[in-house]
Amino acid sequence: MSAADASTLRLALVGNPNCGKTALFNQLTGSRQKVANYAGVTVERKEGRLHSAASGRQYAVLDLPGAYSLHAASLDEAVTRDVCRGFYPGETAPDVLVCVVDATNLRLHLRFALEVRELGKPMILAVNMMDAAQRRGIVIDLAALERELGVPVVETVAVKHNGARALIEQIDRTAAHPHAPTARLAEGADLHAETRRLLSLAVSMPTRTAKVDDALDRWLLHPVFGLLALAVVMFLIFQAVYAWATPLMDLIEAGTGALGEWAGGVLPEGPLNSLLVEGIIAGLGGVIVFLPQILILFAFILALEESGYLPRAAFLLDRMMASAGLSGRSFIPLLSSFACAIPGIMATRSIQDPRDRLATILVAPLMTCSARLPVYALLIGAFIPQKTVWGIFNQQGLVLFGLYAAGILSALIVSWVMKKWRRDKSEHALLLELPSYRIPHPRDLLIGLWERAMIFLKRVGGIILALTILLWFLLNFPAPPPDAVGPALDYSFAGRIGHAMAVFFSPLGFNWQICIALIPGLAAREVAVSSLATIYALSAADDDAAIQALTPVISDGWSLATALSLLVWFIYAPMCISTLATIKRETGSWKQMGFATFYLFALAYLASLVTYQVASALGAG
Amino acid sequence: MDLSLALQYAVIAIAVVISAWVVMKKQFPGPLRKARIALALPLLREGKADWQRALGQWIAPAGSLVNGRIGGKDCGGCDGCG
Repeated sequence: MSAADASTLRLALVGNPNCGKTALFNQLTGSRQKVANYAGVTVERKEGRLHSAASGRQYAVLDLPGAYSLHAASLDEAVTRDVCRGFYPGETAPDVLVCVVDATNLRLHLRFALEVRELGKPMILAVNMMDAAQRRGIVIDLAALERELGVPVVETVAVKHNGARALIEQIDRTAAHPHAPTARLAEGADLHAETRRLLSLAVSMPTRTAKVDDALDRWLLHPVFGLLALAVVMFLIFQAVYAWATPLMDLIEAGTGALGEWAGGVLPEGPLNSLLVEGIIAGLGGVIVFLPQILILFAFILALEESGYLPRAAFLLDRMMASAGLSGRSFIPLLSSFACAIPGIMATRSIQDPRDRLATILVAPLMTCSARLPVYALLIGAFIPQKTVWGIFNQQGLVLFGLYAAGILSALIVSWVMKKWRRDKSEHALLLELPSYRIPHPRDLLIGLWERAMIFLKRVGGIILALTILLWFLLNFPAPPPDAVGPALDYSFAGRIGHAMAVFFSPLGFNWQICIALIPGLAAREVAVSSLATIYALSAADDDAAIQALTPVISDGWSLATALSLLVWFIYAPMCISTLATIKRETGSWKQMGFATFYLFALAYLASLVTYQVASALGAG
Repeated sequence: MDLSLALQYAVIAIAVVISAWVVMKKQFPGPLRKARIALALPLLREGKADWQRALGQWIAPAGSLVNGRIGGKDCGGCDGCG
């Protein structure tokens, strides 16, 4: 840490989940953010820099995980508690705590603010979403609140330009003269009673909930219309993934094709040319082309999250999930698994019931993670014609929706079977906070998308690049003997491994090229696509064929039955070592990890076998 | 083999070794860490030459050395699932 860093004042943003803390953090720090994990745990750590134009001061701002209480009930809350107290290993204690509360939900959020105040550290209370409170006719006497709490109180509107100006001015004042809160709770005082007292003194609200929330909830939480609305929303997302991404994907494909041609022409003929053109550019280009689809999917997920709809979806699905042996609490971890099963499995820490938690962990890999999307998109693009169905629906989008639905349905069936097997069949009530609806701010969506794009590109430039190079090596060495009669690939390490594996996988319709692609796919599923691109580029008869995109190559070379079988394989297969390692770490049991691996593999093999054999019998072979 | 071809094979060899290292580090951080410690330990023993001790310190994983000896608690393994 430099001397300048050491002298920089450290601010920590704390608050309940859904208080607009992250939006405020984005407003204060803009793009000057660093996202990592807290040491030793996988709780996200976000730090940014705030430059105050008025005072010229620099601040380090930490966005702490949302917490309902400092009496931690989850890992997130434990991290927030320890960082605030200055006990977290490797973290410097914050100089000033900025406690963010939702002006429309002070009954819940003020209780936490009182807990934070008891830490005795310099603190500012930021009453956020003041615009929403005003629209609902909520009047907050900030001066009275400040007087009673004994800490500076400012109003903020995190989603508006300059909505944090008052907070920055107050931060400058507190930085110049930091002081501990002037009021404390009396010995043995009750936090709830104190919150009620503060509300009666400083807040007047016509109704406890917003009219618009009530009106929307009447429809969106309706047992029939609500589920219908959820199905329509999910359906539209998958339609958009295909309808909107095509022009950008074409552009990227053309760009990588041109790059391959250029590099192939500039470099002299030889192994390095092959590594670069047929290995790296063909391999990585085959994966990077799916970035637009991944971003469109995440734009929708982020927008739903920001709008306050996701907890409602959890509430809506609770009954269905409980009958399948899960709980509404499983919804968020399972939804996270659409990005990646690893954070999804870690998010199960918020499920207090061990039985529900284990069931959620075991079915999380069945959710379609973003790494599967390139594989699905490749096979759908190659085998499903792009046409409109029933006048409005994109057929490829329908198939993608079907694959996601198959993953969800399979997860429900597996958890239902697990429920039937276990002795404890009791159900646990779901307690959930439903935040007010709000319109997502484009800046927050863009920052979220930027982070997601960086994660994807880092994977492409890291593990995927490394595996592509290794695969190219295995496909090219050793060289065929002088008296070789077959293609050179057959004599390579990878060729031999692929042919050996093909014996086991041929009943599923997998050829040796697919078998090879399954191996590096164990490290990252999307590598299967780059591997196929490399394998087919290397086995191409001439250079023109080698730089041709992968889609037409496989649509000509594979049968529909093989493609369907591979799609089904990717729904179930335990094709990610990191996920299995996370299951072992989270359950602390080799047995559970072994069970997850076995049942996923058995399910994948059986389902692919049935798919291939039935499709072949129907004439698709 | 001409010089150009030899140079190409050298570049490929370096790229393959680095790739293998990245894959090991990302996918098998635990075994890799144990292997590094096992390699570093004999080099760090008392009486070893300075260059051997320096090599041992270079091989030992981050966070595993306390006062030039193996014994730190930090994982020093993977850097997250991303």
